[in-house]
Amino acid sequence: MNISINPIVSLLIFPGGLVLLLSGLAYEFVDRKLVARFQNRIGPRWFQPLADLIKLLAKEEIMPTGVVKGLFIFLPIVAVTAILTAALYVPMFGFKPAFSFSGDLVVTVYLLSLMTLCTGLAGANTEDRFSLMGATRALTQMFSYEAPFLLALLGPAIALGTWNIGQINSAAGHNLWFILAQPFGFIAAVIGLMGKLELPPFDAPEAETEIVAGALTEYSGRGLALFHLGRDIELVIGLTLISSFYLGGLGSPLDFLWKTLILLLVTAGLQSLFARLRIDQTVGLWWRVGSIVVLLQLLAIIIGKVVGPLIPFLARG
Amino acid sequence: MGSEKKPEKFVVSIGPQHPALKEPGHFEFGVEGEVVTSATARLGFVHRGMEKGTESRTWVQNLYLMERVCGICSHVHAMAYAQGVEKLANVQVPPRAAAIRELIAELERIHSHLLWLGVAAHEGGFDTLFMYSWRDRETVMDLLEAITGNRVNYSANVLGGVKIDIDEAKSAALLKGMDFLEKRTQHYMRVVTEDETFLGRTRRIGTMSPELALRLGSVGPTGRASGVPYDVRVDAPYAAYNEFPVKVVTDTAGDLEARFVVRIKELYESFRVIRELVDHMAAGELTTRIPRRMPEGEVVSRVEAPRGELFYFLKSNGSDMPERIKVRTPSLCNWGSILATAVGHKLADMPMILAGIDPCFSCNDRMVLVNRGNNLSTWSWEDLRQHGIEYYK
Amino acid sequence: MTIGSMLGDIVESFFKKPVTIKYPFAKSEPPQDFRGKVVWNAETCTGCTLCVKDCPSNALELFVVDKTAKKFVMLYRADHCTFCGQCEVSCRSKSIELSNDQWELAATTLTPFEVYYGREEDVKTILEQAAQTEAGPSQGEQAE
Repeated sequence: MNISINPIVSLLIFPGGLVLLLSGLAYEFVDRKLVARFQNRIGPRWFQPLADLIKLLAKEEIMPTGVVKGLFIFLPIVAVTAILTAALYVPMFGFKPAFSFSGDLVVTVYLLSLMTLCTGLAGANTEDRFSLMGATRALTQMFSYEAPFLLALLGPAIALGTWNIGQINSAAGHNLWFILAQPFGFIAAVIGLMGKLELPPFDAPEAETEIVAGALTEYSGRGLALFHLGRDIELVIGLTLISSFYLGGLGSPLDFLWKTLILLLVTAGLQSLFARLRIDQTVGLWWRVGSIVVLLQLLAIIIGKVVGPLIPFLARG
Repeated sequence: MGSEKKPEKFVVSIGPQHPALKEPGHFEFGVEGEVVTSATARLGFVHRGMEKGTESRTWVQNLYLMERVCGICSHVHAMAYAQGVEKLANVQVPPRAAAIRELIAELERIHSHLLWLGVAAHEGGFDTLFMYSWRDRETVMDLLEAITGNRVNYSANVLGGVKIDIDEAKSAALLKGMDFLEKRTQHYMRVVTEDETFLGRTRRIGTMSPELALRLGSVGPTGRASGVPYDVRVDAPYAAYNEFPVKVVTDTAGDLEARFVVRIKELYESFRVIRELVDHMAAGELTTRIPRRMPEGEVVSRVEAPRGELFYFLKSNGSDMPERIKVRTPSLCNWGSILATAVGHKLADMPMILAGIDPCFSCNDRMVLVNRGNNLSTWSWEDLRQHGIEYYK
Repeated sequence: MTIGSMLGDIVESFFKKPVTIKYPFAKSEPPQDFRGKVVWNAETCTGCTLCVKDCPSNALELFVVDKTAKKFVMLYRADHCTFCGQCEVSCRSKSIELSNDQWELAATTLTPFEVYYGREEDVKTILEQAAQTEAGPSQGEQAE
């Protein structure tokens, strides 16, 4: 849809800002409810994430000793800011991206990774052993899934010949959906998204039974609320990106709703199926299996692009 | 040339408050990166003074106190105590009572192993298995509630027999429950031995060779998973285990996967024995007369708790209150196996190795004097009181 | 070697109702042998006090109003009781038993936990005696 919204409204209310925050909470609710239903239990009620957010905001923020104070307060804000900025280039809710320029695919992925970097820095900032280990694991995981994830997102970009998310979104629905044309890329993208969001089975950086809460152990109150909010919004943006690339583009809010929800169903199912992978198993899995799969997929795309225009010649000759 | 640089010791302490531990205990792991290089343990956070408490209660009242040493193995504690008292008084329980004791003990074993399966899966991050095994555990809890009247702390024993009976309706419910649980247990066996991600967390982790297991004195499924074929129900049968025996389940691998497999196979044995008991239990009375004052003497009573060998020592001085009761629970023997097998593994494996021995912290807290010198000493009650007063000044 | 071995469970549960019982809106019936609150029958009690002696938590106390006429009043402290059932076993006249329908005993004050069992006039006698001998009598809930 091509309605143009006043930029201020777009930033603060819709589709950025307030509505984005609320949709992040809504998607967290759907995710938790789906996982609960898969495990034969009831799950939380619809206002649970909102209640968690309000509760955290109302609590006292305890500053541990030995931290760099400015960094401690600043990092959650930077993380949420990065995520909200990334939403500007993505076709949120089925509308055209608020701002777009050629090459904004790379910028968006970088902004999403900035959140993980902030988490890692936040963990390294304290004297707590658990936070340090969580930070190490978070950064290690980032090094491992980043390359295959970006390459998986590049698949449709190369096939369509543009690195502009808005253009990919409009063009993706015209041909065969990329989920069928590039299935391995789709698989790598979905699993890469789970690694980025630290969803089980890739939740080694915040393994509750091993290192308490990972990098965010020392955070409480407002800082923790902001980090959680950032993670929820990252979920929405990630789902939007993948469904716009692989599920045929997002043309309208209805499109957006059912495509992202189907993807969320698949993600929730994958969350409940596996035991947690150790960090060395995650890295091994990604660098051995993930990269090879994605590289093969890219090879197939490139061959297709080169051979495709030649087929009429070969058919004639 | 130059001075030797000592490697940096980075110590990660797990406990006494930690999401991995259900009960408090303190473990310190020296790590380098993610690899553990040393492990020490410190216990004693849940000491309740139960052994002292038994000395001011009568024999009958102590039955219920001993039942509350542990929540998951409460029936075997009461059974061991009752057996010891009956040995002191030289009475024999009727065969039906012995059979019902064995029935409740096996039901408790099922309950404990299903609970452990869920907890160990949760430590490994496999929450789905945790939820499903605990959902199926509800079947056993409902069965126990229908038979004994409570879901935990069944209080089925009295001195001289049992206080509950099994009638037609309960037998039918038992058999139906066993069928359902057997189907689900077969499914869990498949999951535990075949699921790729789960095997990645359990295969070849925490391996303990049979010689090491013998030297460290591991008991229960932990030892049996390393090939030590020791089971009190078979080596020194009590209750009705002579008429309704069980087979010893062992495994040779000695790693975490073997401990899972051993416990699930023990579940199969329990299902089989319960079906036999329900069909062929002897009819008869439930209790026999037992005096209120026990004759003088010392007696030792051993049973097989879900975690291993449970050992009771009772001493009577002829009155209606015991002189001394000493409890040695199986978890106490298994700590050494954790500390010995932890070195060389990654920190992420620690919670699963800890959970692999099925630790029950509240069972095994006894008073220990850590003596840094060489002189052994005994503290009297007065010394202890004085120490407590001065420590908290 | 399977990946996702619990897939069958997950898919099945998605289409079933959850197993959670939404207490207190839906309650499950306790079985017949459930060990709930202790109930004492004044008519059949012989006053042997075996139940009082055997209780592991000293939750029972027997007051004698008239020994030859077998008039007793039993004070039952529900907050001390562990619901073990030993009193039911020790009693030779089947006067004390654990009910199976009274088990929701949570309260915000201690008064519901001090239950005086007995005939009305006996309980009144005992309460008056307690009021005379103590400074602040504990008003217990009267039950028969």
